[in-house]
Amino acid sequence: MHDYPLLFVIWLFPLIGALVLWAFGPQLKSLGGPIGSAMVGVAFVAALFAWNDATTGAGAHQALFAWLPQFVFGLQWDRISLVWTLIITGVGFLIHVYSIGYMAGDHAFARFFAYLNFFVFAMLTLVLSDNFVGLLVGWGLVGLASYLLIGFYFERPSAVAASRKAFVINVVGDIGILYAVFVIVAKIGAIGYGDVFANVAKFSPGELFAVCLGLFIGCAAKSAQVPLHTWLPDAMEGPTPVSALIHAATMVTAGVYLIARCAPLWNASSDARVLVGSIGALTAITGAILGCAQWDIKRILAYSTMSQIGYMIMGVGVGAFDAGILHFLTHAFFKAQLFLGAGIIIHNLADEQDVRKMGGLRRKMPFAFAAMLIGVLSICGIPGFSGYFSKDAVLSGTLAHGHPVMWAVGVLTAGLTAYYMFRMLFVTFLGQYRGHVDPSELGLRHPELAGTAHAAHAADEHGHAHAPAWLMSGPVALLMIPSVLIGWLDLGGDASPWGRFFEPVFGHFEPAAGTPPESLTSLVVLVLVAAGLGIAYARYGHPRALIEAIPRLREETVRMPAALTNRFYFDTAIDALFVRTSFVLGRVFGTIVDPLAIDAGVREAGFSAQWLGHLFRSFQTGLVRAYALALAFGAACFALYYVMIGAGR
Amino acid sequence: MSVPPGAYVILAAVLFFIGVVGVIARRNPLIQLMSIELLFNSANLVLVTFARVWGNNAGHIFAFLVITVAAAEAAIGLAIVVIVFRKTRFVDVDEVAALKG
Amino acid sequence: MIGFVLLALAMIASALFTVTAKKPVYSVVGLLANFIALAITYLTLHAEFLAVMQIVVYSGAILILFVFVIALLSSGTKPFEAGPNRMPRALLPAALFGLVGLAAVAAAVGGTIFVPATIPGATGEAGVFGSVADFGTALFTRNLLPFEVTAFVLMVAIVGVVLLAADESPLRAPKRAQRESITGPREPIAR
Repeated sequence: MHDYPLLFVIWLFPLIGALVLWAFGPQLKSLGGPIGSAMVGVAFVAALFAWNDATTGAGAHQALFAWLPQFVFGLQWDRISLVWTLIITGVGFLIHVYSIGYMAGDHAFARFFAYLNFFVFAMLTLVLSDNFVGLLVGWGLVGLASYLLIGFYFERPSAVAASRKAFVINVVGDIGILYAVFVIVAKIGAIGYGDVFANVAKFSPGELFAVCLGLFIGCAAKSAQVPLHTWLPDAMEGPTPVSALIHAATMVTAGVYLIARCAPLWNASSDARVLVGSIGALTAITGAILGCAQWDIKRILAYSTMSQIGYMIMGVGVGAFDAGILHFLTHAFFKAQLFLGAGIIIHNLADEQDVRKMGGLRRKMPFAFAAMLIGVLSICGIPGFSGYFSKDAVLSGTLAHGHPVMWAVGVLTAGLTAYYMFRMLFVTFLGQYRGHVDPSELGLRHPELAGTAHAAHAADEHGHAHAPAWLMSGPVALLMIPSVLIGWLDLGGDASPWGRFFEPVFGHFEPAAGTPPESLTSLVVLVLVAAGLGIAYARYGHPRALIEAIPRLREETVRMPAALTNRFYFDTAIDALFVRTSFVLGRVFGTIVDPLAIDAGVREAGFSAQWLGHLFRSFQTGLVRAYALALAFGAACFALYYVMIGAGR
Repeated sequence: MSVPPGAYVILAAVLFFIGVVGVIARRNPLIQLMSIELLFNSANLVLVTFARVWGNNAGHIFAFLVITVAAAEAAIGLAIVVIVFRKTRFVDVDEVAALKG
Repeated sequence: MIGFVLLALAMIASALFTVTAKKPVYSVVGLLANFIALAITYLTLHAEFLAVMQIVVYSGAILILFVFVIALLSSGTKPFEAGPNRMPRALLPAALFGLVGLAAVAAAVGGTIFVPATIPGATGEAGVFGSVADFGTALFTRNLLPFEVTAFVLMVAIVGVVLLAADESPLRAPKRAQRESITGPREPIAR
C-alpha cells in the first residue's frame, strides 16, 4: 500500500519532541527527560503495531512528495527498516530513561533530550527513506546530531575538538555517497531504491564499482572503518548515554544498514564485496589490537565497537547479509549494556574513567559487575550468549562466501576480543580498590597520554539529590535479557526464525561444495577465545596478579609500545597530510594571495579610477587655446574620417 | 566658369587653416577674434562658390545671415574682452584660466 | 584664371599678415585687405550684392568696432600687457592639425575638379542672378523667417553688450549703492 500514516507517527514524534524541548527547554527543566523518553516510546510502540505490515509482501510505503518527476521522496517500511527502527526506538527508549538518571542535575538537561530526540528522528529518516537522497539527508542529520551530542559539554576544548573531528570525517563520507548518487542519477535517472535495484544491469562493472566505492566511503566514515575511524575514540568525550546510543548501537551501524539495503548492488560487484570485506576485517583486527592498549574504560569499549562493526561490515560486505544484521542486533544490546554499565560505574565513582584507578568493584557495585559480566560474555562469543550466535554466523558466512583470509583475521580478532574485554573486566572489578592510590604509583605521570578523558562537569553532579537508582539500573537490567537470549533466534541455520525472517529479502545462499561446516568455525573460535581468556586471567585475574596489581599496572603503562599509544599514528598522519596542509594553504592565501592578488585588484581598481581622473583632469588647463587646439584636433579627425571612409559620397 | 570650383574650395580651406592657427597660436584675444572672422569668411566663400555653381541664390542668403551673426558675435566677444581687461588689466587669453581644474 | 590666382594670393597673404602681426592695429589692416580681396572674389562669382554687403557690413562696421576696442584698451600710457606664455609650443600641433584638415579637403576635392555648365538662370523672379532684386526677393519671401530671427539675434547681441560692458561710472554710484543696500553687493564677473 502506498499510504501508511502510522509511519508518520514513528518518524515524526521524536522530531516533535526535539522541537518542543528545544523551544521550551528552560521552562520544562526536568520534565524534559520524561517528555523525550515518551516520544521515543510512542514511536517504539507504533513500530511494534506496524510489525505485521512490514513482513507481509513487500512491506508498506508512504509517499512524501515529488521534487522532480523522477525524484519522488517517500518512506518505506519493510523488514530491514523494521529491524533497525525497533532497535533505534527500543534501545533508544531505554537509554532515554537511563539518561534521566545519569544527567540529573545537569544544567542543560532539556537540551540533552532535545538532541537525543533529534538524533532518533534523524536516524529514522535514514532508515525509513525509500530513496538515496532521503538517505543522504538522514545521513547528514545524523552527523549533525552526533556533532551536537559529542560536543555537548562545549565548555571543554577537548569535546569541541572531538565533535569537530567527527563531523569533518563524516563530511568526507557524505562526499562519497554524493558521488555515488551522482553516478546513479546519471546512469539510471532515478533515486528510489526500487528503480535503481531493478536497473542494476545497466551499470558497467566499472561504474558499479564506483558507486559501491562511493557508498562505502560514506559507510567507512559513519561506521568508523579504517582509515576513517579516528573520530570514534575521541567521540567518547560525549556523555556516556550518547556513547551508548549513537556510537555503539545505532549511528555507527548506518553503514551496515546502507550495505544491507543496497544488497542488489553489492551482489552484482564482486570487487566491491572484496573491498568491503577486507576493510571490515582490517578494522576488526585493528580495533582489537588497539583495544588491548587502552586504559580508559570508555575507550576500550569504543575500540571494541569499532572492531565489532568491522565484523558487521565484513559480514554484509561478503554477502552474508542476515549474519551481519544479526550481529548488529546482538551488538546493539550487549554494547549498549556495556556502555550503560560503564556509565553506572563512572557516575558512582565521580567521573573516574581510568581502569587503573578502579579495581575491587565486584563487591562495591555488584549490579554493575553482573551487567558488565553478561555483556563481556556476550561480546566474546561464549556459547549460549547471543554474541556467540551472531559472531559464528558472520565468520562462517564469510568462509562460505569464499574468503578464507578474512575468516582467519576474524577468528584471530575473536581471540583478541576475549583477551582485552576480560582484561577490562578483571582490572575493573577484581582485586583491591585503587581509587586512593597515588597516580604516579600506577604510572599515571601523564594521564593524558593514557587516553583518559577528563571530566570537568563533576561539580554539577554533587550537591544535587541523586535520581532514583532504578532509572539507571532498570534499563540495564532490561537489556540483560536480549543480550543473552536474542542470539537464540538464529538457532538452526537457514531454518531458524532469523533465517526465515530475511529469506524474502536476501534469498537463499548455497555455499560452494567443500566449504567447511559451521561447526569448524565455532570450534576454532572457541579455542581462541579460551586462549584469550586464559592469558587475560593469567595477567590480570590470577590471585598472584591481583596482589601485585599496582606494580604490574605501572609496568604495563610504562612499557606500552609507542605505536599502540599513538594509535598506529593514524591521527598523526591525517594531521600531517591534511590539517597542516590546510593551515599552510590558509597562511598562503592569507598573507600572499589575499593582499597581493585580491586586495591588490580591488585597490588597483580604485587607484586606476583615480589615475584616470588625474589624467582627464590634466586636460582641464583652463586655457582657451588648449581647448581650441582640441577642437582643431577633432575637426582634423572628422575630415580624415570623411575622406577615408567617404561618407555620403 | 573657367576656374574650377574646387580651387575656390581649396582656397577657402587654406584661409580656414590660417584662421585656426591664428586662434591657437596668438594670445591676444583681439587677434583671436579676427582669426575667427577669417573662419567665417572662408565658409562664406564656399557658400558663394556653390551658389554660383548651382545657380541657386540660397547660398547668398546663407552667407548674408552668416555675416549678420558674425557681427553680433564679434560685438559680444569684444564686450567680454573689455570687461576682462577692466578686471585683470591683462589682454592675454592665457590669464583667464579660471576654469582650470 | 589670372584674376583668381592674384586674388587668391592676396587673400592668403593678407590672412597670414593678420595672424602674425605684432600689433593689433596691423592685424586690423590686414583683415581689411583680406575682406576687400574677398569682396572682389565675390564679384567674380556674380554675387554683387553680397560683395557690397561684405564691404559695408564686415569691413565698415565690424572692423571699425575692432578699432574702437583697440583704442579703448590701449588708452593710457601702458601698452597691452601680457602674462607669460602658458602654451609655448602650441604652433606645431595646430599647424599639423590644420594641414591634416587641409590635406583632407584637398584629397576630397582633388579628384573631382568638375566644370559645370553655364549658369542655369537666375532663381529670383526679377533680375539677374546675384543682383539686388534677386537677392531681396529671395530674402523677403522664401527666407523671411531667418531674416526676422537674425534681427532678433542682433537685438540680443546689443542688449548683451550693454549689460556686459556697462560702465561703473561715478554717476551711477548712488543708484548702485541704493540698489545694493537691498539686494547686497553684486559678484564680479571675472576673477
